[in-house]
Amino acid sequence: MSIVVAGGRRGLTDPEIAAVILAAIPDKPLETNRKMNYFVEPRGRRLNEYEVLCCYTQPTPDWIPGGLDWGDWTQKFHGGRPSWSNESTEMHSSDWHKHRDPAFRWHALYVKDKAEEWRYTDRFLKAYSADGHVRSIDPIWRDEVLGDYLGAFGFSEYGLFNAHSSVVRDCLGDTLRMSSAMIGLDKVDNAQMIQAERTFLAKLVPGFDESTDVPKNEWTKGSIYKGARETVEEIWQGTYDWNEILFSGHMIYDPLFGQFVRREFFLRLSAYYGDNLTPFFINQMQLYHSQTKGITTDMFHTCLSADPTFGEYNDRLMRAWSDKWLPRTVNALKDFMGIFAKIPEIKGVTSKDAIEAALERVFDDWQRDYADPIGYKVDTSAFIKTVLTGLK
Amino acid sequence: MAISSATKAATDALAVNRAPVSVGAQEVHRWLQSFTWDFEKNRTKYSTKYKMANDTKEQFKLIAKEYARMESVKDERQFGSLQDVLTRVDAGNRVHPKWNESMKVISNFLEVGEYNAIAATGMLWDSATAPEQKNGYLGQVLDEIRHTNQCGYVNYYFTKHGQDAAGHNDARRTRAIGPLWKGMKRVFSDGFISGDAVECSINLQLVGEACFTNPLIVAVTEWASANGDEMTPTVFLSIETDELRHMANGYQTIVSIANDEAASKYLNTDLNNAFWTQQKYFTPVLGMMFEYGSHFKVEPWVKTWNRWVYEDWGGIWIGRLGKYGVESPASLRDAKKDAYWAHHDLFMIAYALWPTGFFRLTLPTAEEAEWYEANYPGWYEMYGKVYEEWRARGCEDPNSGFLPLQWFAENNHPIYIDRVSQVPFCPSYCKGASTLRVLEFNGKKHSFSDQWGERMWLSEPERYECQNIFEQYEGRELSEVIAEGHGVRSDGFTLIAQPHTSKDGKLWTLDDLKKIGCVFADPLKSL
Ligand SMILES: [Fe+2]
Ligand SMILES: [Fe+2]
Repeated sequence: MSIVVAGGRRGLTDPEIAAVILAAIPDKPLETNRKMNYFVEPRGRRLNEYEVLCCYTQPTPDWIPGGLDWGDWTQKFHGGRPSWSNESTEMHSSDWHKHRDPAFRWHALYVKDKAEEWRYTDRFLKAYSADGHVRSIDPIWRDEVLGDYLGAFGFSEYGLFNAHSSVVRDCLGDTLRMSSAMIGLDKVDNAQMIQAERTFLAKLVPGFDESTDVPKNEWTKGSIYKGARETVEEIWQGTYDWNEILFSGHMIYDPLFGQFVRREFFLRLSAYYGDNLTPFFINQMQLYHSQTKGITTDMFHTCLSADPTFGEYNDRLMRAWSDKWLPRTVNALKDFMGIFAKIPEIKGVTSKDAIEAALERVFDDWQRDYADPIGYKVDTSAFIKTVLTGLK
Repeated sequence: MAISSATKAATDALAVNRAPVSVGAQEVHRWLQSFTWDFEKNRTKYSTKYKMANDTKEQFKLIAKEYARMESVKDERQFGSLQDVLTRVDAGNRVHPKWNESMKVISNFLEVGEYNAIAATGMLWDSATAPEQKNGYLGQVLDEIRHTNQCGYVNYYFTKHGQDAAGHNDARRTRAIGPLWKGMKRVFSDGFISGDAVECSINLQLVGEACFTNPLIVAVTEWASANGDEMTPTVFLSIETDELRHMANGYQTIVSIANDEAASKYLNTDLNNAFWTQQKYFTPVLGMMFEYGSHFKVEPWVKTWNRWVYEDWGGIWIGRLGKYGVESPASLRDAKKDAYWAHHDLFMIAYALWPTGFFRLTLPTAEEAEWYEANYPGWYEMYGKVYEEWRARGCEDPNSGFLPLQWFAENNHPIYIDRVSQVPFCPSYCKGASTLRVLEFNGKKHSFSDQWGERMWLSEPERYECQNIFEQYEGRELSEVIAEGHGVRSDGFTLIAQPHTSKDGKLWTLDDLKKIGCVFADPLKSL
C-alpha cells in the first residue's frame, strides 16, 4: 500500500495499515529489560511509579552532585550566571536527586487527593448550611476571631506560599522541585480555604463581612500578627538560599507558629465557641502540614543530615539557621498572645495555664521532631516563658 | 451570652430557607488580587528590564482545589484508556518500529521541556507582582509537573509493553551522549530558565508554547496514530488541554509589560531572538522526527510548518499582539527557508552519527525516496544518492566496517557545531542556509551557522560558553564514549542505537564499532 496516509486513518484500527505494521514488528522484543529507570536507586525495596516518573527528569551535569549530564549550560543569565548552580545554597549534598516524597505522590496522585478534598468540602458545606449549625457560633468568635483574625492568618499562609517561587526556580533536584511546588500549593490552598470559609459565613450570616480589607489591615498594621508578618516577609523575600527558605518556613516557623495558631488556637478553641465549621477547614490544613512535614524532614534529615560526606556540616548549618529563625518565631508567638484578650475567657481553656500547656505541646513536638534530629540543644521552657509575656 | 443581631438574622433566614449552600471557586478567586501586601523587600529575585503591572489579571481564575479537580478528571480518562483498553489490545506493541524509535526521542525531549518549564514558571511566579498573574503562573508550574510525569509515562508504557524497551527505559541517562541533546537543552532547558524573566517567558510561552506546541503536540498525534501509536495521542492531547492556559499566560505577560517604556525598546529584539532560538532547533528536529521517523506519512513538514508557524503564529497570534507594539520577527523569513531543507540536512548528520543515539534510525526506502523527491524536488540528487552509496557500502551491516561518518571525512565535508544553538551542520554539504562563520575569543574558536545566532553571541559571548560534543569527546574512540555513556543494552554489549529497524537485520555491538577505530576530532582545531 501507499505510504501516504490521509484522512485520519489510524494504524491500530485500519486493517491495511495494521497489516504493514504487524509485518514490520520484530517476532520477539529486542530488549528484555522492561524496567524504566532501572539504573535509579530505589528508596524502598523496589522502584515505584513515582520514582520511575520523576527521578532524573532534571538534566543537570555531573558537577552538580547526582547529575547525569556533562558540560556547561548551553545558555546562561546575562553576565554569565549559570542556569542552576551549587552556589545557590549553603547546604552541601553528595546527591541532590536523593529526596523522595514519603507518600510517593507524583502529579496524578497529588491532584487526586486534593480533588477529593474539594468535592468533600462542597458536600460538607451543603450539609452544614442545611443543618443550620451556624446559629450556634458565638458572635464574637464568629465576627471578630473568624472574620478578622482567621482572615489575617490567611496572609501568613499566602506569604509562605509565595516563598516557594524561588525555591521552585532554583533548587537542584527534580524530586525536590516537585515536592516544593506541591507544598507551596498547599499553602495557597490554605489561604484560599480561609477565604472560602469567610465567604461561606457571609452567605449564611447577613452582615458578615467577607471582604479582605479588615483582615489585611490587621495583618499589615495590627499588633497581633506583627512578629509573624515580619518573619514571613523575611522568609519570602529576604532570603535567597532555597534551602534556608524551606528550612525557616517548614522546620521552624510553621511547626511552631503555624501549629500553635492552627491547632492550639483555632482547632482547639472553636468547639468551645460553638464553631464546628472552622475545624473542618483546619483539619485539611493539618493534613497538609503532616504531609509537608514528611517531605521536609526527608529533605533535611533523611537526605542532608544523613549525607555520608556533608552530614555533619549540614547539621551545623541547620543549627545556625535555627539560631537565626527561632527568636523571630518566638517573637511572632509572643505577639500572637495578644489575641487572648480579644475573646471571652473560658477557664481552663483560654486561661494562662491552658495556653502554657498548649505551648508546651507545640514546643515539645518541635523539639522531638525537628531539633533533636539535628542535635540542636534548646531550652524550650525559656522560650515559652518569653512567649507568655505577650499575654495582656 | 447575648445573641447578636447578625445571629438573629441568620436564624431568621434559616427559618425561611434551608436550601444547602456551598462556595464556588469563582467566589473565592475574586478576592485573590487582595491577598498580597506592600512591604519594603517585596520585589522579585530575578531581574528583568521590564516592569510587570501590579493589576494584571488572569483569564482562567482557578483556585488550588478546583485546579486539582479539573486535572484529576482528565487524568482518570487518560490513564483509564492506557491501562484498560489499550493494554488489552496490545497497543503498546502494535506500533510501526520506526515510530517506536521516534517516541524514545520525542517523549523524552518533550519531558525535558516540561520539566524546565516548572522552573521557568516558578521564576515568573516570583517576578509577577499581581496575585492573579502569580496564580496563572502557579497553575502552570503544576501543569508542567503533570506534563513531565505524562511524558515519562509514555516512555514507561513503551518500556513495559513495546517491542524495543532499550532507550525508552533509560533515555534520562543515555540522551546525553548524542548530537541532538545539547541543542535540545538550549531550547527546552536553559532557554526557558536562564535570562531576563520576561525574555524567558517569551521563549517558553510566546514562542515555545504558542508557536511550536501545535506542531509538537498536536501534529505529532496525527503522525503517531497513522503509524499505529494510540498512546501518544491519548497523553499528548491531554497535555494540550492545559497548554491553552499557558499561551494565555504568555499573552498576559506581554499585556502586563505593554505600557512599560522598556517594551518599546527591547520587546521585539527579545522576541526575534527567542523565535530564532526555538526555530533553529525545532524546525529541523521536528521535521526530521516526523518524516524520517515514520513509515506512514501524513503531510510534508514544510506544509505543517507553514500552516502552524508562519500563518497561524507569525500571522494571527503575533497579529493579535500588534496593538501592544509586537511585530513579526525579522528572522521569520530565514526560518521559512530552513523549513524546507534543514531537516533533510540534519537527518544526514544524525544518521552519520547513529551510534551515539539512544534509538534506532532507518535510511529512507525506495518508496520513501519517491515521496521525498515528489515533495522536495532535488532531494534525490542531494541526499538520495548518498544514502544509496552508504547502503551499498553496508552501513546497516555490523560486518561491513563502514560508518557513514567516514563518508563525510573521505569527501572532506567536516561537521561543525553552532556554538549558540548547539545544532550540528555541514557547511560544504547542505541545501539549507547554513554557512560557516568562525570567531576567536579568549583563545578559543567558535563556529556559527547563521547570522542571528552569531549576533546573539557577539553581544553576549559569556552566555554561550558550552563545549560541544566534538570538544568533549576529542581524541576518544567512539565505542569507548558510548560504553561510558551507558549506550548498551542489558546484555552488556549490543548497542541501543542501530542504523536500521529491520527485524531481520543484525544488531551492532560495541566490538563492531571498536574494530572500525573511529576517533573523535574537533574540526575547529584543523582550521
Ligand atoms: Fe507543558
Ligand atoms: Fe506548557
